[in-house]
Amino acid sequence: MEAMSLLPLFEWVEGTGLSVAIRGSFWVFAFVQALHLVTLTLLAGSILIVDLRLLGRGITRQPVKVLAQDAQPWLMAALVGMLLTGMPQLVSNATKEYNSPFFRSKMAFLFLALLFTFTLRRQVTLADVERVKPVWRTVVGLVSIALWLGVAVSGRLIGLFS
Amino acid sequence: MTFFRSAAEWVDVLPSSIAIRESQYLYAGLLTGHVIGMCVFVGLIVMMDLRLIGVGNRRTTFTQIQRRLFPWQMFGMTLSTASGLLLVYADPLRFYDNIYFWIKVVMMVLAGVNALAFHLLTYRTVDAWDGRTMTPFGAKLAGAMSLVLWAGVVVSGRLIAYNWFARR
Repeated sequence: MEAMSLLPLFEWVEGTGLSVAIRGSFWVFAFVQALHLVTLTLLAGSILIVDLRLLGRGITRQPVKVLAQDAQPWLMAALVGMLLTGMPQLVSNATKEYNSPFFRSKMAFLFLALLFTFTLRRQVTLADVERVKPVWRTVVGLVSIALWLGVAVSGRLIGLFS
Repeated sequence: MTFFRSAAEWVDVLPSSIAIRESQYLYAGLLTGHVIGMCVFVGLIVMMDLRLIGVGNRRTTFTQIQRRLFPWQMFGMTLSTASGLLLVYADPLRFYDNIYFWIKVVMMVLAGVNALAFHLLTYRTVDAWDGRTMTPFGAKLAGAMSLVLWAGVVVSGRLIAYNWFARR
């Protein structure tokens, strides 16, 4: 699949002082991971409040556009937070994650989820109601939930099957 | 207190408890379900609390958010509670002896008390402030407490696995 292996890169990362420092302290890794989960709930909420509406559920009295616009800053903040709390975990456990099929599937799902969220989903949620056929809203809602579920479930399984 | 520990010891050796504890896939499935339930439940609670403190989802009235998200919050809570109970049933001594588990339980109880207090007090006046971005102090307090307590539940829940200073 890869033309060249990323293993040397992951191995190099694991040897850096930063990586050793994070691994050296139980507290740092554990709290960063706990913050990752707290931030996850913000991400999940800001995605779900809109996806439920796309599926015709939840806060149905509001147009999708209003919910999406209001959720947007929280979604962005959550994504930044997930990156900031995810990086130290990756840095300190680089080769273990390189070898984990669930880390790879998580990254694949994450790439697809981000791509989808900022292209098709963005267009459908911010468009005026009349311009989008209902079937597309349903499809986008389901695909969004499925992709983000893929990220979350993969993430949970990294630690359980390594 | 030793009565309760004896009860945990009794469950710990039940064949069904051992079966769950030792089945790799079922146990992983329970943990996964627990996290998904958490995402739905706490995620939608957070959306609601952001409105309560007046910083998020401001163009939607509080009652709309609360009423329309409630069934989904309950779905998440059911999933997390069911998986959580089975997880504890599968390894009762480990949780009984872990201080982070009890901190988590206390925080959940406090979160429930906070929600009840809000519902009985500030919520009574909701028609007066439903559409307003600037919510009354009681609403801001309830929202902030809820955010802090549920973040505490998530953090302490994660720390259960780490075990330092956890043994009682």
